[in-house]
Amino acid sequence: MNAAISVQDVYKNFGEETVLTGVSHDFEEGRIHGIIGNNGSGKTVLMKCICGFLLPDKGKIFVNYRQVGKDMDFPENIGLIIETPGFLPNLSGLKNLQILASLKRKIGTDTIKENIRRVGLDPNMKKPVGKYSLGMRQRLGIAQAIMENPSILILDEPLNGLDKSGVMDMRELIKELREQGKTIVLASHNQLDIDELCDTVCVMDAGVLTVVRS
Amino acid sequence: MSKFRQVCSVASYNFRGWRRNPRVIITFALAFILCFLLSDKAVNFAKDNKTTMQIVEAFIWTFDDSNSILLTSLLTIFLFSDMPFISSGTPFYLMRINRKTWLNGQVLYIVLATGIYMAFILAATSLVCMSNSFIGNKWSLTAAILGYSGAGNAVALPSVVKTMEMSSPYVCMATIFLLMLFYALLMALIMLTCNILKGQLAGTISVFVFSLFGVVLQPKVIAALFSLPSSLMYKANVAAGWLSPLNQAAYHAHNFGYDLLPRLWQSYVIFGVLIILFFLLALRSVRKYNFNFSGTEG
Repeated sequence: MNAAISVQDVYKNFGEETVLTGVSHDFEEGRIHGIIGNNGSGKTVLMKCICGFLLPDKGKIFVNYRQVGKDMDFPENIGLIIETPGFLPNLSGLKNLQILASLKRKIGTDTIKENIRRVGLDPNMKKPVGKYSLGMRQRLGIAQAIMENPSILILDEPLNGLDKSGVMDMRELIKELREQGKTIVLASHNQLDIDELCDTVCVMDAGVLTVVRS
Repeated sequence: MSKFRQVCSVASYNFRGWRRNPRVIITFALAFILCFLLSDKAVNFAKDNKTTMQIVEAFIWTFDDSNSILLTSLLTIFLFSDMPFISSGTPFYLMRINRKTWLNGQVLYIVLATGIYMAFILAATSLVCMSNSFIGNKWSLTAAILGYSGAGNAVALPSVVKTMEMSSPYVCMATIFLLMLFYALLMALIMLTCNILKGQLAGTISVFVFSLFGVVLQPKVIAALFSLPSSLMYKANVAAGWLSPLNQAAYHAHNFGYDLLPRLWQSYVIFGVLIILFFLLALRSVRKYNFNFSGTEG
């Protein structure tokens, strides 16, 4: 199988603190890759490095065979959700996604509405995002990540804040996305999510990534 | 065209954050109070002399002074205290653009926000003297008394004859507005560049150093530094006029045809070159910038 994301001997320090220590891993296409680890273990930093937000002090990261930070600033065709999705609090969910979609102009309002429905929200809801519950915001974050039909999804704690039925729905959605051939990197504290969803599992501990299931 | 749309979108994202934002409200409220306090001298002078003012004269007499320019500009730093404008929504933007577009958007936001802020200052000072003013484009009797009688020096208002003889109130207002805008923009660009290069603390320190440089570089300091006798004070004035960015921003500290101080167009060029230089430096630095978003560490 081909590697959609290839992390090669990546080191990242913040001042004196080493956060990633020689991380190397190939994330193969069309699979769900789980990363589990405690707070501060370096999961999010690795994801930020993959997305190009943080630049490694040493090592290289390739996404779809193009080097992040050299061939491109941020990988194209990636959907992303981070722990706390940030939206403009005064605007509705639909308006927020319309603003984001206007940057690439790849999709129209109908596609945005369809994706909002897909995560279990009402696209015609006028309520501003500032009044959404954490779970609703999380769902909107997932809709934002998938709306432009990216081939790779980086999901950092995507099930945080969701109620039981929300977790079930999102698990189904993630499985459905895998069926569509998407490569998904999923970070979670929850062993159950990782066990149920992921094809490969890595443990991140003190900046070292170890494969426990491949 | 699509890049320009993206740049505008990044800038408008920052402006959307202004709504009900306490920091922005406080900045504008403080700016109004500052205008009220600073222009008080000019307004009271007119009241005491029972004369009227041209509506923009309060702005002209107040902001032809380097200390007023410094105080007003420092408030913009409060407006931009969240520089380099990274929030939990930023990653969603970044994934759809590139670093250069993001920075161009931030710079556009800084330019527009500074322009709005300066327009507010102009409106606020005009409002303060509105009840005793007229809108015609001619100098008032208050201005004439201030300039010709020497009363301006007595109350420390920089109304000088050359100002009145060289231009009309609205032209003078536009010049002062542009000089203040350039000064505040340069300050904000220095802050942004240092922020990107070395972090937020460095950005704040850079503004402090830039302001201190302007404040310290006064004719008296230069005269003391080089032990210049009072007969050579003129040289100290010229040196301060060229070297101090605050003096470059003060309208009266310019050459109107009979001294060696910088001409207005020279100050515009100096500010313009420095602003472009810092913008290019920021553009270069952003290539290696690490974006850190709050609440996402794990």
